[in-house]
Amino acid sequence: MSASANDSRSEKTVPARVPAGPPVPSAGPSKGGEPQRRVDVSLMITCLADTFFPEVGVAMVTLLRRLGVRVGFPEGQTCCGMPLFNSGYHADAAAVAARTVDLFAGTEHVVVPSGSCAFMVKAEYPGLLAGSPREQAARDLASRTRELSQFLVEVLGVESVESRFTGKVTYHDSCHLLRGLGESRSPRALLRGVRGVELVELSGADECCGFGGSFSVRLPEVSAAILGKKLDRVEQSGADCVVACDAGCLMQMGGGLSRRRSRVRALHLAQILAGEEGA
Amino acid sequence: MATRALFLERIRREVEKGGEFFPAVTASRPAHPSDAAELVKRQMAERWPEALDRFKVEFERVAGVFHRVAGWGDVPDVIVEIAREKAARSVVAWDESALGLDLRPRLEAEGLSVAVGGTGAGDENARRRHREDSARALIGVTGADFVLAETGTLILLSGRGRPRTTSLLPDAHIAVFDRTRLVESLAQVGILLEALHEDPTRAMSGAMINLITGPSRTADIELTLTRGVHGPKDVHAIFVGMP
Amino acid sequence: MSEVRFPERAATALKDRFLQEALTIATTKFIDLRKESFAGFPDGETLRDRARSIKEATLQKLHVHLGQLADNVERLGGHVHWATTGAEACDIILGLCRDRGVRMVVKSKSMATEEIDLNEALEHSGVTPVETDLGEYIIQLAHERPSHIIAPAIHKTKGQVADLISDVAGRRLPADPEALTAAARIHLRQKFLEADMGITGANFAVAETGTVVLVTNEGNGRMVTSLPRIHVALMGIEKVIPSMTDLAVFLAILARSATGQKLSSYTTLVRGPRQPGELDGPEEFHLILLDNGRAQQIAGPLREALYCLRCGACLNVCPVYRQIGGHAYGYTYPGPIGILLTAMLRGEESVKDLAHASSLCGACKDVCPVRIDIPRMLVDLRQHLDEHKIAPRAERLVFSLLRRVLTSPATFRMSAAAGRLLQRPFARNGRLTGLPFLFSRWTQARDLPPVAKKTFHERWKDLR
Repeated sequence: MSASANDSRSEKTVPARVPAGPPVPSAGPSKGGEPQRRVDVSLMITCLADTFFPEVGVAMVTLLRRLGVRVGFPEGQTCCGMPLFNSGYHADAAAVAARTVDLFAGTEHVVVPSGSCAFMVKAEYPGLLAGSPREQAARDLASRTRELSQFLVEVLGVESVESRFTGKVTYHDSCHLLRGLGESRSPRALLRGVRGVELVELSGADECCGFGGSFSVRLPEVSAAILGKKLDRVEQSGADCVVACDAGCLMQMGGGLSRRRSRVRALHLAQILAGEEGA
Repeated sequence: MATRALFLERIRREVEKGGEFFPAVTASRPAHPSDAAELVKRQMAERWPEALDRFKVEFERVAGVFHRVAGWGDVPDVIVEIAREKAARSVVAWDESALGLDLRPRLEAEGLSVAVGGTGAGDENARRRHREDSARALIGVTGADFVLAETGTLILLSGRGRPRTTSLLPDAHIAVFDRTRLVESLAQVGILLEALHEDPTRAMSGAMINLITGPSRTADIELTLTRGVHGPKDVHAIFVGMP
Repeated sequence: MSEVRFPERAATALKDRFLQEALTIATTKFIDLRKESFAGFPDGETLRDRARSIKEATLQKLHVHLGQLADNVERLGGHVHWATTGAEACDIILGLCRDRGVRMVVKSKSMATEEIDLNEALEHSGVTPVETDLGEYIIQLAHERPSHIIAPAIHKTKGQVADLISDVAGRRLPADPEALTAAARIHLRQKFLEADMGITGANFAVAETGTVVLVTNEGNGRMVTSLPRIHVALMGIEKVIPSMTDLAVFLAILARSATGQKLSSYTTLVRGPRQPGELDGPEEFHLILLDNGRAQQIAGPLREALYCLRCGACLNVCPVYRQIGGHAYGYTYPGPIGILLTAMLRGEESVKDLAHASSLCGACKDVCPVRIDIPRMLVDLRQHLDEHKIAPRAERLVFSLLRRVLTSPATFRMSAAAGRLLQRPFARNGRLTGLPFLFSRWTQARDLPPVAKKTFHERWKDLR
């Protein structure tokens, strides 16, 4: 029935900078006024965000609608299959991948609030489903899928959003986004683009937080020791919150911050940009 | 114990099975290494002053001590000075034919004993004596066959009259060279090595080449950098020639 | 190999306060040195690509290059031996010692000799091996194995080193690196001069010229190849490269990757025994080519691991290695590449725990001079362990359950609902602490967010 309370903001045009880059058929609202063609995205929520951090999904929907994007959500989605894949259960991972490919068929853009899941779809799905009837569909999905910050910057041409979030933040580079997808600039540019945000650089930002999926429970002490180092640096940065583009990292860092009763919070980029927190 | 034939046949089978992981090539080499080496020499005849400047910077960066003298006759003075600083009494040196000068007159006049790596192979006794001389000497004087500016490296060929241990056993190693030895880049060194090995027994009388970049060093104890582990603690370069 | 399993060794390492500090300092230093070195080196990335290509191209004709190498070594008056296994390589060396009346051997740092347990074999047959690389010397005195590929003794305090070297020196030495190094220099100098045989590894061997290449910093590589009357070089078959031009490519990036130096203090090119007219150098040169599981990987899943230059860069950046150090891995080669090399040399079963000693962060691949995709091969290893049912039954059960949950939206939904119910006793202030069973592994050091009151799926109804 009623849309979320945030819809009242969806008509507002958002100031944005268009970075030089390959021309995109669906230009964002950067020319001022109405977008020329409505951008359609399907949200791949990820298993962790669906179950533990639905507010990240809500923030994404808010944010994207504010930018004039139409958001769809193929129901019945579960997971990209990475936990199975990384532990070596490739046949099982392929079964999950096949479902995902089918669910997201025919959607124009797929946006994921997770570097590792985006990497899984883009880098591993084609190989997993090679030689199967879904081989082409997998490659196709791989090319349509983007992590959130990359979607905002590369497809919508947006690097600055109005947000009610204010505070000092620091950014943690999730491993798969950084090294798998080669992305370290877009999230930082987007954070700097929020007027109320002061971005401070995190020492060792590119170092793993120790999550590594099942690694965190197979070798919990090692994972915790790696996490301890990361959180020491987070606290030394003086930031009010640490931002990441991956629910796994947020679960790990948030869990550690909460355990040490830190005043620092762990938030997803979408939450900062949508301005749900800290207003 | 495997035989060569079986060993290599096994590998050949695996190579065939393994195919290609991706299309790959080895480094592209000069078709005529001696010509390429000649070209390098001609380039360096022009560019040696820049190379020398660069060498000095890089050499000092690896804790080398750089000296410059006008002529070959001035070299012994520098050596005497270094000997004085180190309170050294004995010196071991390459043979005159390899070094380009005879150090004995001047150094012996200063009361230093000089053992020279003779050009004859000598017998077991000669070898043993030379080894003892080299182990006793605090200073070893050699030439340098190539001097690499990019990294501050001295490149020494072993051979007749140019023993390996002269630049290894003493506390201090002094290398003497002039502009004709300077090269700029590791890539050029690759070319020169290719050229040397086209006809190795003609080009080299020894079996070892050492690329020496600064003194012997280690950081094995708590990562603290220490010099002079097994090789020389100090390396000096004496460049002969004024602008 | 210790009876204690990897997870316990890792846990022990985590409690070692000095080790933790030493590892942080050492690895951070190496990381910074490498970064700085490549930052000022614009050709670096291209050279890494070229180096990788050379390694792959060489593998594609490995038998040809090895044959050429052997021909050239023999032409120079050297001897070539072919060792399919580590035991064979030991036998060859022991045989040489016996035949040539060798009683004491000085060794330059060689991981290959560690791999085949050479020192133990030598000692058993009455030959004394003396490690001369300072780090290796220290751990030899301590009866330990190296804990890092290029800095073997970083886990030792200078106090511990002082104790070890004082024993040998017969007098009390201060815990000062300069003094300790000076004492080692004197003691080992005697060994160099007296030894019958010098044993080295080989960083590279140039097929076209029959040259064995040693990259060192201390000078012991030069000592053991110039003073004793016999030089034996033990070399993995993957170390051969075709030409001097290829060598220049590797030299440009190897030291930078390992220690941030442009070149190591000494790069030594050895072409067989000494030539007539040389006053010093060995009379005899022996090159032992070692397979020991390598050939099998040319057509195997670990082929890329054969490119490894043994620089140690991957160890320095690995979040796991940086926490637990080399000994916890339990084998000759530690760190990310160490897991792959162990699988190569000892079979997949040997890494059933180690294959999971990685968060797959990819930092190793980032810094590898020859761009080895270590994470990919780790996942492949895990896949083999699953396929061959080496992974424990309980684990396989958990994952097959997970598959069922993830391929059925209804089951997925039910699991979330079940979670919501079951978590109630453990929820405190909106967080889960102290969970039981498998989940306690998470909550021993971290809180867990609770399953959301409404999953995103459930909230979508209102967002639509």
